[in-house]
Parts: sequence; structure tokens; C-alpha cells
Amino acid sequence: MAPELRVVGKPLPRVDAYGKVTGKTVYAADFTLPGMLFGKVLRGTEPHARIVRIDARRALTLPGVRAVISAADVADVRYGGALKDETVFAREKVRYVGQPVAAVAAATSEAAEAALAAIDVVYDPLPAVFDVEGALAPGAPLVHEAWETYSAIPILYREGNICNRARILAGDVERGLAEADRVFEHRFTTRMVHQGYTEPRAAVAAWDSAGQVTVWSNTQLPFEVQNTLAEILQLPPSRIRILVPGIGGGFGGKLRVGVEHFAALLARKTGRPVRVITTSEEELTAAYPRQGTIVELKTGVTRDGRLTGKQGRIFFDTGAFAGSGPGVASVATLILAGPYCIPNLHLEGYAVYTNKTNCGSFRAPSGPQANFAVESQMDIIADALGMDPLDLRLRNIVREGDEGPTGQLLTGVGLEECLRRAADAIGWNDRRPGPSRGKGIACGWWTTTGGSSGVYVKINPDGTVALNTGAAEIGTGALTGAAQVLAEQLSVELSDINLVSADTYSTPFDFGAQGSRTAFSVGNACRAAAADLRRQLFALASRQLGVEPDALELRERHVVAGGKRVSLADLSRLSQQSGGGLIAHGTFIAPPTPYDTKRVEAHVYPAFHSPSFHAHAVDLAVDPETGEVTLHRYVVAQDVGFALNPTYVEGQIEGGVAQGVGQALSEEIVYENGRVVNPNLTDYKMPTTLDLPRIESILVQHPSAVGPYGAKGVGEPPNIEPPAAVANAVAAAIGVRITSLPITAEKIVMALRKETP
Amino acid sequence: MRKLPLSLTINGETHELLAEPHHPLLEVLRTQLGLIGTKENCLEGECGVCTVLLDGMAVNSCLLLAAQCQGRRIVTIEGLGGPETLHPLQETFVEHGAVQCGYCIPGMILAAKAYLDQNPEPTEGEIREALSGNLCRCTGYQKILDAVLAAAGVLAPMR
Repeated sequence: MAPELRVVGKPLPRVDAYGKVTGKTVYAADFTLPGMLFGKVLRGTEPHARIVRIDARRALTLPGVRAVISAADVADVRYGGALKDETVFAREKVRYVGQPVAAVAAATSEAAEAALAAIDVVYDPLPAVFDVEGALAPGAPLVHEAWETYSAIPILYREGNICNRARILAGDVERGLAEADRVFEHRFTTRMVHQGYTEPRAAVAAWDSAGQVTVWSNTQLPFEVQNTLAEILQLPPSRIRILVPGIGGGFGGKLRVGVEHFAALLARKTGRPVRVITTSEEELTAAYPRQGTIVELKTGVTRDGRLTGKQGRIFFDTGAFAGSGPGVASVATLILAGPYCIPNLHLEGYAVYTNKTNCGSFRAPSGPQANFAVESQMDIIADALGMDPLDLRLRNIVREGDEGPTGQLLTGVGLEECLRRAADAIGWNDRRPGPSRGKGIACGWWTTTGGSSGVYVKINPDGTVALNTGAAEIGTGALTGAAQVLAEQLSVELSDINLVSADTYSTPFDFGAQGSRTAFSVGNACRAAAADLRRQLFALASRQLGVEPDALELRERHVVAGGKRVSLADLSRLSQQSGGGLIAHGTFIAPPTPYDTKRVEAHVYPAFHSPSFHAHAVDLAVDPETGEVTLHRYVVAQDVGFALNPTYVEGQIEGGVAQGVGQALSEEIVYENGRVVNPNLTDYKMPTTLDLPRIESILVQHPSAVGPYGAKGVGEPPNIEPPAAVANAVAAAIGVRITSLPITAEKIVMALRKETP
Repeated sequence: MRKLPLSLTINGETHELLAEPHHPLLEVLRTQLGLIGTKENCLEGECGVCTVLLDGMAVNSCLLLAAQCQGRRIVTIEGLGGPETLHPLQETFVEHGAVQCGYCIPGMILAAKAYLDQNPEPTEGEIREALSGNLCRCTGYQKILDAVLAAAGVLAPMR
């Protein structure tokens, strides 16, 4: 019989809670150093233009101004992820409104502002492309004329303004569509949205006399930022130290280098520590938001509701630089397939350059956009066939042992349970409970991203345990989950674990806070370290107690054998006297997920590791006069594998839904001719306490074979289904289908009046 | 610009300092006094992370000039409690899992305190109204509401 769990699976308070409720936690935006200067970034004002001249002479004469830098002051390097197309400052031309052109350091923030205003930049405007259609039109201006000279991972398919086209090809889609009784073709659109973290991106950089730079940053990926800064500064990574204090939310928006490079360059130029922090306007015009998309779906189905083939294309407006685009376009194809068994697929994801801000990763990148299209269309198909949308889904969903779209074997599949429980909870048998009131359902699947994790775990002479990890805690509670795994394994309490995190000098490598992987991967690394420590502890205890090691076990902070016992504290002290102390290095890398390589082209992410499955159901009302949507109930049934800490798993679900409801109903970065017209938190409308119902979480637990105690990635999935679930409920309520996000009151009223915008 | 001599009462302690006449209270708290528990974000009164108490009322310290605060009682998160003496709201925020990234939490707790001090037995709907000026992007607000309701239950009998 498995021993009863003491720490994992329990709703314990997170390890960093007290610092946060007392205001003691120091975030990157709070961090200061003596003598620190304030850096600010001058941003381009034209969507596409040649830079004729940058004149900073007047700015340099202003009081308090210490330095102005621009492209001429930095090495001519292009950096980026899968595709290296980005530069620190615009060189020769600007490609979006908001692109960095120069940066200043001054004694005060106000002096830095004044200096920005005193820099003269003369532009010679060029023809620009403002959307995907424009960028793909014959003869469209190229955002990057020299795209062919950029370095990229070799598998990408690139052509002009297309910076990747990823494909899944399975079966024979022509045949699949020919076999269908009905073929449905639809087009959906979504808009650019921002992660909306409450702490701006911030960094403080300081150089020491040995030519090494230390950067305190709120990045989610300290090791990636270290490597990117190494490229930009032309230094070995070991001369760059990234430390991550508290992070005020990330959601994917703080993955890539954000302001760290400006701080480091200005600090090198001035010889003083420099801090750079973004404004709300910079966040909404020049950060790494979620791409707007166009999705085209052509789906074949038999009369009795069996999906026979699907042809789909999703176009990501990735902005002036590739950002996460090539990978996001790849992941999207797995979402376009849906969590359904469809034998014939031809799915394409395009990442397309335009003269807009550089888009990035936002919680479940590509998930909400592609799922909105897929799950809206499922409801349209069900209505057309006269089927219940739940039944249509149940007829086609993947189940245990089925094949994923690229041929991966699916295990731990809890999707049917999710759908049935969400439907039951929302009262699905009464889908239209009143006038202008309706219920909607949507389901999906997602990955638990791989990447490796290392931890050092040390047992202190008082019996407490130090967990040293390169992972960053962005607020999810993932490191509390990992610490619970460690405490369970070492027979200590969660309060015995001291966490040391994210210092690229001293903490072991971690792939970073991305892809719903932190609790999963760091938790498994903790398991490995605990196994090593058990061996060390048992070797010492065996000599102390005169018992063979295999007769020993860990219990309540002691190694015990029958009536004999010795504490972890005593064994730690013994080791310090004799063997350099108790320490272990635990590592984890998710095993590769086999898939059929012949089914993919230019694909960066061909299979979902330890996939999770989920269903959302919503009950809402629409005011037919104003178009306003009121959410009454929202239910999520998510297959989390195993909930390491139910409180924070629910917290992820509640927060993910809130963000998803924002994208569904109100959030949009509005561009007009290449300029953002709502770059402030008044006009960029994120949900408040008044906009959300209580979110009811049902934790379904079909364990992953790989995750700690069966856990799967939890953080991103709840952000995927809200737009589709809301769109389907709106359609149920008023009989009108809105195919573009956000589903604003205005769109609803116009649709009811059969007007076009 | 000439700096103004100011006398500010913060968390029961009087601070004599010089501040630019146009500087908001937030700037003085964070930069001059090192009270970084009051957070900085939008700087235009939209997000609520800079919320402090002014004579018991929740206000956005980014919009309030420091010079307007003379002779008034300012309370920041640092004045609410410490690890040894947590305020019931701080306790319930921990217990109910209301904290994720935590950046909005000092402002959220102070906004809740200001409201509970005036309305000791609120409904959930009233708490939603009271906290509608404080954005949180992590939690969906649910566990924050649970924490405030629980704190109201703890605080009510103490009055």
C-alpha cells in the first residue's frame, strides 16, 4: 500500500505568502542601488521609416543627463529565439511605432524624460503593412528586406514576410473532405492582447571593476536573458549575472530580454548602476503581447457527427520581429486539430511580419485563438446537424490510447470526464434557461513543456532543507508545489524548506517559468535530489544505528529502523564533521514524446508532452438592448493529473479564466494605421472584481506517467477555452454567432440588428 | 524648482523631509522613505497597486501630491502589521490562497481594510464594489473575496 501523503496534495499556504502580505517582498521594480541612475527609452514614432538623422546634442547638455546611446553605440548583432532578427536599437530604419531608437541615463526619472524630448530624430516614411492580409498581398512591402541573411534554426520555412509556416499533414485531407456528408468553412479573427501583469518590466544593472555585469530583473527566464545579453554585449555568459527578485506576474510577457539590455548598456556607458522600468504606454505599444490572428477552417463531418477531415490555416500577426511567432505558429496546428480524432488533416500555422509591435508569448501561446475558432465551429456544426454540441464532442474526442494529430500515443486522457462533469455542473440539460440567456461549452488540450531542471538540495544542521533552484517564481505557486514534493520525499514539513531561487551565478540551470512546466520539472528534480539524499542519509545512519541501509526509512525528520532513530539534523552535523555536509544535485528532463516525423513540416513543437485536457462551461445573459454580457456561472473541469496543492491549482484556474474572459469580451490593443490608440489602462479593459462570476473548479485527476505524483502542467490551460465557451454561450443566448474577438457589446448589438461594422 | 519642507505622519511616525511640490505621495514613500510595500505601476490611478490609507480612506498614492498630505494620517502596508503581528486581513489572505504574484496585494489589503472599517458586515457584492479599483491579474479575485469575507467574520466580533 502506498504510504499516506502528508505534504503533497494538501492545500498549504505558499512559502512566500508572508513576505507578500506584509509588503516585505522586494520585486524587481522595487530594487535600487546607491548612486543609481534612471534610464529611459526613446521609441520610434513611425510604423515604417528610414532614420535620416538622430541628434542628441541638445539632450546631452540638459541638467542631470549622463548618457545617450543609440545603434551606433552597440555591437551590430541580431538576436532572437528561433529566428535572430531583432536589434537593441533601430538601425537605419524603424519597423513599428514604439521600436527603441535611443536610450538615456539621467540623475532622475524626470531628467531622463526631458532628455528624450530633446533628442531630434528625422524620419523618411516608407510604405508599411498593418495586417496579415496586407503583408501577404502580392508586391507588399517587406518588413525585412534582408530576411534571407538572418540566422534561424534550419527547419523554419520562410518567405518574404512569412517568418515561419508550420504544417501538420496526416492522412489525405481531400479524401477526408470527400467522404464527408457536410463540409463547413468558416473564418474567425482575434486581436492583439496584453498579458497585463501589474508589475512593469524592470531591471537594474551594475558593472564591477572586473568587467562583469549584474542585472536584477523580473524575467521569467534568467538563463535565456543571460545568453541574450551575452550576444548583445559580446561577452561570455559567465560575465553576466542575472538575479531575479520578486516578480509581479509574467504570463509569458517577461520571457525574453525586455529592458535588461538597456540597463546594462547604459550602466556600462555611465559607470553607474542604471535602472529601467517600463510605463503602461510602453507596455501597451512595445512589449510582447499575444498575436492577433485570422483562422480559416474547412471541416468535413458525416451526417451522424463523425469528423472526417480538417483543413485549417491560422495566420499570426507577429509584428515587426519574429518574437515567439515561429514556435507559436507551430503549436497552433496541434490546437487546430483539437482534442479530436480526425484521420485526415492539413493544418498550417503562419507567422507573418507586419509593422506593429513584436509579439511574444502569452499564457498558452496560440491556444485561445485557435481554440476559439475550433470550438466555435464545433457548435456551428452541431447546430447544423441538429446535434447537441456536447454529443458532437463526445463522439469525436480523444480517449486513452488514441493517437494525437502527429501520431503521439495519448495516455492519462481525462477529457471525457472533464466534459461530462463540466456539463453536469452547469446544468447542460437546460441550455437556454431564459430569454437572452444561454450556456456554452468548449474543450481543449495542452502540453506540459519539457526543458531541463536542476536543483541543489542541502540538509542544514538544524534539520531544515535548502532548495536551490534556477527557476523563477512568477506567482503561480509552482515552487511551493516543488517544495511540497521535496518535503514529502524527505519526511519534513513544508515550513522546513528554505527556497533560494534564480541567480545565474550560483543556482543550477532551469529552463524557466514557461510552458506550465515549473512545478512539474522542478518537482521531479527535487525527487531525484531526495533519492540521492536518502542514500547519503542511510549510509550515515546505517553506521550510527548499526542497521543495514535497506532496513532504514525516513519518517518525521528522522531516519528510523524499528525502535532506533536518528534525526536529519544529527546526520547533517555528522556529515559536516566528516564529509562536507549533506547536499545533492537533482536533475530532470522530460523524456521525448515519440511522434510521426513524416506528418510535420517546419514544426518547432510537434507533440504535447504529458498533455492535459480540459472543458469549460459558462452560463451567461446578454442584454439585447445594450449588448452587455453578464456571466452568471463559470465551471472548469481540468485534468491536472494530480493536484500538488489544490489551493493554488484552483488559483491558476480562476486567474486563467479571468484573463481568458478579458480576451473574450473586452481586451484589445487597438491599432489604427500602425498606431495603438488605447495605450493606457482606462481604455485597455481588463476584468475587475465586477466583471467576473465565481469560477467553479473541478479537479479531474488522470495521472501523468512522468509528472511528480502524476501531476501535469496546470498554469496555461485555463486561459485557452474561455473565448470559445463565451462565444458559444452568447450564440445559445441570442442565436447570433460572433466570429471575432473580443465579443464586445457593440458587436453583439450590431449583430442583433444585422448591421455590419 | 524649490523643494517644499513637509511634515508627514506615516504609520504613526512623523517624517520631516523636503519634496518637489509636484511629487506624488507614491514617489516620496518609495524613493525618499524606502517604503516599497506601496507598489508602482500605471501612475494614473487605474490599477490600484499604490493604494494607501489617508485618514482611513483608500487612495491612489500615485495621484495624490505629497504636499496635500500634511497633517493627515497615512498608513501603508508596512504600518498594518509585521510577521509577528499580522492584521486579520493579512492572515486570511495567506490562509485562503489569495496571494499569487503578490504585487497587487498591499493595495488590495489596504482597500479592503478601509472598506471593512466603514462596513463591518459586507456582502460579497459590496466587497466587489469596494475592490473594483484594484486590478489583480493572477487570481480572478475569487480567493481575495474569500479572504476579505473571512476577515470580516474575524473582525466583526472584535468591534
